Amino acid sequence: MARLKALRRSYAPLLLGIFLLVAPHVMSHYQFYVLQKGVQTAIHVLGLLILIGYTGMLSLGSAALLATGAYTYGILSVKLGLSPWLCAVAAVVFTTVVGTALAFPSFRLAGPFLVVTTVGFGEIVRILILNLEPVTGGAYGLAGFQNLLPTNMWVYHLMLVVLLLVAIGTERLGKSRIGLALKAIRQDEIAAEVMGVNVKRAKVVAFALSAMLAGVSGVFLANLTGYMSPDSFTGAESTTFLLMVVISGMNSAVAAIVSSIILTWLPEVLRFLASSRLLVYALILLVYLRINWVPSTKAAVTDLIRKLGFGKAGASGESQVGRG
Amino acid sequence: MSSMTNDSVLRLEGLTKRFGGLVAVNNVSFDVQEGQIFALIGPNGSGKTTVINLITGIYPIDSGTVRFLGEPIEGLPSHRICWRGIARTFQNLRALPAQTVFENALLGKGYGKEGVGIWHTVLHSARYKEERAHNNEEIDEILEFVGLSDVRNERASQLPYGRQRILEIARALVTKPKLLLLDEPAAGLNSQEIHTLMELISSINERGISVLLIEHRMEVVGNLADWVFVLNHGAKVAEGTFDVIKEDPAVIQAYLGKGGK
Repeated sequence: MARLKALRRSYAPLLLGIFLLVAPHVMSHYQFYVLQKGVQTAIHVLGLLILIGYTGMLSLGSAALLATGAYTYGILSVKLGLSPWLCAVAAVVFTTVVGTALAFPSFRLAGPFLVVTTVGFGEIVRILILNLEPVTGGAYGLAGFQNLLPTNMWVYHLMLVVLLLVAIGTERLGKSRIGLALKAIRQDEIAAEVMGVNVKRAKVVAFALSAMLAGVSGVFLANLTGYMSPDSFTGAESTTFLLMVVISGMNSAVAAIVSSIILTWLPEVLRFLASSRLLVYALILLVYLRINWVPSTKAAVTDLIRKLGFGKAGASGESQVGRG
Repeated sequence: MSSMTNDSVLRLEGLTKRFGGLVAVNNVSFDVQEGQIFALIGPNGSGKTTVINLITGIYPIDSGTVRFLGEPIEGLPSHRICWRGIARTFQNLRALPAQTVFENALLGKGYGKEGVGIWHTVLHSARYKEERAHNNEEIDEILEFVGLSDVRNERASQLPYGRQRILEIARALVTKPKLLLLDEPAAGLNSQEIHTLMELISSINERGISVLLIEHRMEVVGNLADWVFVLNHGAKVAEGTFDVIKEDPAVIQAYLGKGGK
C-alpha cells in the first residue's frame, strides 16, 4: 500500500502532464473541447480544494463566482471594448473581491447555515444576471467578446501553464504552515484559534484564493465557449464542483485535476441516460465513500459531514471545550 | 508567599461567569507568580475548566479582570491571547487526528502573528525557505525535548492516548508560552506515563515557563505544585501550599473527603 502510494505520488503528475500535452493531437474536435472544459474546471476546483478540502468551508455557490469571472470579462469586452487582457485582470480582481465578501458570513455561520448562505448567494447572482438584461444579455446570453489568444490551441496551452502553476501553488500551500492552519480550521476550529491561528483572517484568505481561481477559470470559460448564459451557472453546477473536490480526496492537487477532468467527461459519456445521470453521480459518491481507504481522505470527508450537522452530537462548538 | 507581589504572571480579580442561572465561576481571584507551578483543584463541575476557558478567551467574561504580565487581556480573541504568551492543552484530546505529529506541532506557529505571507509560501521564496528551516529546527528540538522525535512523521491518531497528550503539550510549547495552562494532563494515563509527565512538567517549568495545572491526581499536585488553589461550586475554598491545603477541613470536606487521604 505504502509502495503503491509512493509510486502514485511520483508518476501520477508526470502521466497526467503527458496526457494533457498529447491528448489534443489525437482527439476529435469535440473531445478536445470537452478536455478544455475539464482543464478549465480543474483550475476552479483547485480553488475549491483550498476552500473546501483544506479549510472545510462548504460552499455551494461556486458556480456564481465562475459566472462573475466570465460575465465581468464578457461585459467589459463587449460593452466597453477593453483589451481582453485588461478585461481578464479586471474580472479576476472583481471576482476575488466578491468572493472574499463571502468570507464574512462564515465568521458567524457554520455547517448547514453557511451552505445555505452560499446557495443563496449563487441564486442571487444567477437571478441578477438573468434580469440585468441590458448589461448581461439576460436569458439570451452574452456573446461577441474578444478572446485572449487567437486560437483555441493557444488558449489551451495557456490554461495548462496556469493549471501547472496553480497546482504547484496549491500543493505548496497545503504543506506549509499556513496550509496547516487552514486544515486545522477544518478539523478543530477552537484548537486552531487557541494555538494562535487568526481564524477569521485565515478564512478570508481561503475564500479569496478560491474566488481568485474561480475568476481565472471564468475568464477561460468565456474564451472556450465564446458565449455564456445564466443556465451554465446553476446550483447543480456548484454541486458538481463539490463532487469533484470530494471525489479527489481533498488532499492532492493532482487528484483534484484528474477528478475534474473525469467528471467533466462523465455527462458526455452518460448522455444516453438523460437526466437520470444524476443518479449515477449519487451512486459514484456512495460507492466512493464506502471504499474510501485513504485515511486523510476519510478524515476530511468525515469533517465535512460533521460540519453539515450529521455527525456525532457535540462534535463542534462549545460543547467540546469541556466541562467546568 | 504574598499574593500581591509585582512579579505575577497571571492575575485574576473577581472573575465571574454565569451560564443561565448557574454561576459557574463566582468572584474568583488569584495570582500565578513567575516561575510557579500553580495547581487549580476541585471536585468535578467546580468550574476549573471554565476558569481556563475564560482566561483563554473561549467564553466571554461576565465580570472581573484577567491581567497577564500586568496587562488586561479580557475580551481579546483567543489567538491574540496565545500570541501574548498563554498556551493551553485541553481536557479531552484535541490533537488534529489526520495530521502528523510534526504538523500538529507546527500548528503552534499559528497564523497571522509573524512569519511570511501567502505569496512567499506559494512561491517558495528565500524568506519562506528560511522560515521553514528555522521552524523545522525549533519544532524538532521541542519534539526531542518532550520525547516524540521517534514518531515525528506518524499520524497523531496512531499514537497511544498518553503520547497524544504529550503532543498537545509539545504543540503548546511551540507557541513559546510564558504561561502554560494544562487541563488535567494526567487524566487517563497509567502510572508510568504519569511519572514521565511529571518529569516533563518539571523540566518545562525549569525552562522558565509558569504552569497553571488543573489536576485530580493528588500525587501529581503534591509533587509538582508550589501553590494550590481549591475551587468548589465556582468559588474559592482555600489556597496555600499543598501541605497546608491537605489538612484544611474545608478542603477535606469539599474535595478530599471522599477517597482522599
